[in-house]
Amino acid sequence: MDFFWIYDIPPNTLALLITAGFVVFYWVGLIFVRPFLRAFVRHTPGANDIVGYVLSCFCVFYGLLLGLIAVTAYQNVADAGENVTREAAALSALYEDVSRYPEPHGQNLRWLLRDYTRYVIKYAWPLQQKGIIPQEGNIRAEAFHDRLLNFEPRTPAEQILHAEALRQLNHFLECRRMRLFSVDSALPGSMWYVMFLGAALNIALCWMFHMRFMAHVLLGGILAAYLGTMMFLIIDMNQPFRGDVSITAEPFEILYHRMNED
Amino acid sequence: MPADGASCPSQRRISRRAAVRGGAAATLAAARALVPGVFVGCSMGIPRRGRTVPVGLLHSQTGTIAISATSLRDIQIHAFEQINAAGGILGVQIDLRAPDPRSRTEMFAKRARQLLDDGVAAVFGCWTSASRKAVLPIFEERKKLLFYAVQYEGNESSPYVVYGGSVPNQQVLPALDWLTSPAGGGRRKIFLLGSDYVFPRTANFIAKKDLARRKLRPAGEVYLPLGHDDFTMAVQQILFSGADCVLNTVNGESNLGLFRALAEAKIDPDKIPVVSTSISEDELRSLLPEQVRGHYAVASYFETIDTAANQRWIDGFRNEFGYDRVTGDAMEAGWCLVHLWKAAVEKAGSFETEAVRQAFRDGLEFSGPGGPTRLDPRTQHCSRFFRVGRIRPDRQFDIVHASDAPLDPDPYPQIAFPGWRCDWTADGLTRGPEVALDGDV
Repeated sequence: MDFFWIYDIPPNTLALLITAGFVVFYWVGLIFVRPFLRAFVRHTPGANDIVGYVLSCFCVFYGLLLGLIAVTAYQNVADAGENVTREAAALSALYEDVSRYPEPHGQNLRWLLRDYTRYVIKYAWPLQQKGIIPQEGNIRAEAFHDRLLNFEPRTPAEQILHAEALRQLNHFLECRRMRLFSVDSALPGSMWYVMFLGAALNIALCWMFHMRFMAHVLLGGILAAYLGTMMFLIIDMNQPFRGDVSITAEPFEILYHRMNED
Repeated sequence: MPADGASCPSQRRISRRAAVRGGAAATLAAARALVPGVFVGCSMGIPRRGRTVPVGLLHSQTGTIAISATSLRDIQIHAFEQINAAGGILGVQIDLRAPDPRSRTEMFAKRARQLLDDGVAAVFGCWTSASRKAVLPIFEERKKLLFYAVQYEGNESSPYVVYGGSVPNQQVLPALDWLTSPAGGGRRKIFLLGSDYVFPRTANFIAKKDLARRKLRPAGEVYLPLGHDDFTMAVQQILFSGADCVLNTVNGESNLGLFRALAEAKIDPDKIPVVSTSISEDELRSLLPEQVRGHYAVASYFETIDTAANQRWIDGFRNEFGYDRVTGDAMEAGWCLVHLWKAAVEKAGSFETEAVRQAFRDGLEFSGPGGPTRLDPRTQHCSRFFRVGRIRPDRQFDIVHASDAPLDPDPYPQIAFPGWRCDWTADGLTRGPEVALDGDV
């Protein structure tokens, strides 16, 4: 199931919604579930201590899990960002190489690279932000590849330049493929299952505490709010091109601006 | 604490019931405020998901025709981007789909089917007549509109095709008028050279009929396969024929080979000018200036048309696609077709094909960068100016001749296709006797 609509919600609102969702869940459980859970422990001497030990132990494992998952999600975004930067850098180098080709080949090749860059900024990026792998960039990359292969070097200098351009093209295509692979990269479903189950158990353990109702509402609410905030952070970083913590087309925009300054 | 246990107001504890009641009320209030944003997207800055209508662009981006067709694709992308930025058509944004038919005829049919399966409202595309003829039955079967922007040979009409480029009575026949006139050098020995497919063969058939009317015969007639690049033998034939002019209907990158061979044979453009029907500024970029300067091209539009509207159009395109991009005849026609379709959709109030066709009936006009153009509802072809351009060393054209007004289209010139005519506002296509294009003139 694709929760793409989540990323249409502005990040502040999304954070508020997720946090509020956890707090409300906690409070509703406090009213309806707590009486049943508390029945198991309320007559046990030192029940709060026992629940406290279990909760502490659980929180260590769960906190570690959440922390590692958050790091993984951030690393995923960082890797995808690096791929984008490398692709833009390779494109820039390729543009420089083909600018040295004799005319009209150089001009034709520059046009095709500009067309590719424009497509990435104007069309591919909005699609990536919806989690869709853009397809028409392949056609543009292929058009450039075809035209580059059509060039027949006539001098040793042109042969060296052509060989370098072909090498740079391969590097660019590799980076491009890496970017496309990362469009729909996300945490697997099993991780989400473990995270949400852990959050639910964490909250359930809190319900077992025997204390005044308003203290429960306040302290449990704070814990639930922080759990919700952590979940928001991981959700926001889950997909590299979606959400507030996502990769922008800035490297391509800078490059396109420079291409048009020539 | 009071003895009766009653709490004083300042020390009153909140009962669980009161807390639950208050919490429920707060939760409901929060839900009421947030739910519309989540499920409807109507508040809190959540963007609306606007309705879009898909439109197809069927232009080759790889292969032998790509050099020309990519620019046509770009100008149509530019036109639709401008339309979308201005709010779309009938408030609906246009979602462009641009697959690559790879300059292969069979791929045009395949891609056209895919576009129509995707539910496009209309398709703008094709470059060669072979590609257009490959997709035409598909558009007729599915009752969808194809907008074709390139000059072509005529001898065709379809209720589901809108033709934006010149037909022979707007390009080839006026070219012969000009060439045989004193202004064009009073040429009498015209050599017909073309790629071997339907446009050059039909255009040259019409040219031969017109020459016969003038009591002239072509100095020679040669066809070479599309994509062929060795024109050495063809140029020798031109020299041996004693031709004083070449009417060139060679298409695509083959022109590189042709002009290289002409330059190697040291043919002087003042003595034997080559008048090309399929060379625009875009194709000139790939040709070496020293090989082409002094030769001519005939078209409806040249970038050097000196009007403010044209300059604005060129500037707008360059701002979007690059400072060194050039415009050309098919691009101008493609631009006009997009705007004519937009006008028709707005007039019809619908994207449905039949409603749009009904909107054609009163005739639609658009003032393009090359001048005004009118969609003739009878033939679904556009009126076009006729201009002759002489190639300059800077890969531009000096306009040496232009018609006074746009010429009305006639896809079936009676000189070549007697008895044939079409009127899609009345009885459709009226067939005359079958005409053999390779028969005697």
